[in-house]
Amino acid sequence: MFEATNELGNLVLSTGGTLTDPNAAAALAVGLAALGAGYAERGIGSAAVGAMAEDDDLFVNGLILTVLPETIVILALVVVFIVG
Amino acid sequence: MSAAGSPNPEYVVARVRARRGGLYGDEEYRKLTRMGPAEIARFMEESSYGEEINALGSRHGGVDLIEYALNRNLAEQFDAILDWSEGSLYDLIARYLRKFDAWNVKTVIRGVYTDAEQSAVEVDLIRAGEFDDRRIRRLLEADSIDGVIEILEDTIYGEPLREAYAEFEETDVLVPLENAVDRAFYERLLSGLGGDEPTRQYESFLVAEVDFRNATNALRLARSGADIDPAAYFIEGGDLFTRSSLARLAQNLDELVEYIGDSQYGDELGPALRELEEADSLIAFEHAIDAALLAYGDRLGTIHPVSVTPVISYILAKERETENIRAIARGKEAGLSPDEIESELVIT
Repeated sequence: MFEATNELGNLVLSTGGTLTDPNAAAALAVGLAALGAGYAERGIGSAAVGAMAEDDDLFVNGLILTVLPETIVILALVVVFIVG
Repeated sequence: MSAAGSPNPEYVVARVRARRGGLYGDEEYRKLTRMGPAEIARFMEESSYGEEINALGSRHGGVDLIEYALNRNLAEQFDAILDWSEGSLYDLIARYLRKFDAWNVKTVIRGVYTDAEQSAVEVDLIRAGEFDDRRIRRLLEADSIDGVIEILEDTIYGEPLREAYAEFEETDVLVPLENAVDRAFYERLLSGLGGDEPTRQYESFLVAEVDFRNATNALRLARSGADIDPAAYFIEGGDLFTRSSLARLAQNLDELVEYIGDSQYGDELGPALRELEEADSLIAFEHAIDAALLAYGDRLGTIHPVSVTPVISYILAKERETENIRAIARGKEAGLSPDEIESELVIT
């Protein structure tokens, strides 16, 4: 696994590097931010569903809290405009 | 649902916290202590116990109805918690809830021993543990203690019970069997707990519970002055006592009180210990122990909000509520005054 990563890194560096291309790095940033948002929403979402199962009135609050981490992705999108 | 999969504390904790909000508070208890059994049942019907009161209302009445409704509600709530949780969370919760299995096994054995009616035993069971309905039905149908042990052969209670059975046959008292069940439960409770921080806190709570149980047993033995070997009642896993120190301290009440006062629990139990020395009342001390455990449980649930600890904290609070309502109902039946009943309650 680690050797493979090393080789990949060497390859990237020796071929001029796609990842050092600003656009590619910005895309990666957005992707990672989306991954983080997804992970955060997993926990919040399951807690929200649990709370809703006990009390239906919590639907709106649960929904808002669940999608809050999406803001990270929107902030990450800013990077795309700065770079591009 | 099962021990497979990854733990889902977020979901379980959210549901449990919502339910915790519905538990009775000071205000409700004060109202309940001024009601008769029928009014208590009606009050419960309007709160979270409605379903159980309605289901049992046609067959039972009075204090029995309250008692059975409490047992059934407790079982349903805890079963639901086990149902929701997955992975390591399930394992941690099931460890604690197995104490209801131990309770059921003891109840069935006592029922067989006293030739009680099957239905009389059945209502006293709390189906909150891991045993499924099939096993419980088979246990109820067993007509000898040997038969009970046979049904439990593949559980953790099988082997210890089998070993204790010989002693039971010799002496014809249930103590060896009941001790075997308790010990099987406590040994399993603390073995192989995982290593992360919330789990360690859970473990230290369990250790405290074992310590308190040992302390109560030792105090009871020391006060009764009965000629029983204290080591036979010793539960492994605690911090406070070893088998030999418990045996020694149970001979002398003053030394025992001093020893507990100097231990790490001295701060919490100090006032109760002084009261024990002055008023010579063990009841106050046992309440103080319950209150200390409950306060410990409350604190436990706030340090790591997304872990097993809030769930355990809820389980404790719920158990306490059931016991309080039962105490109120039984107190009313015995004709105690509201003030006397209130002194029997454990509220934090």
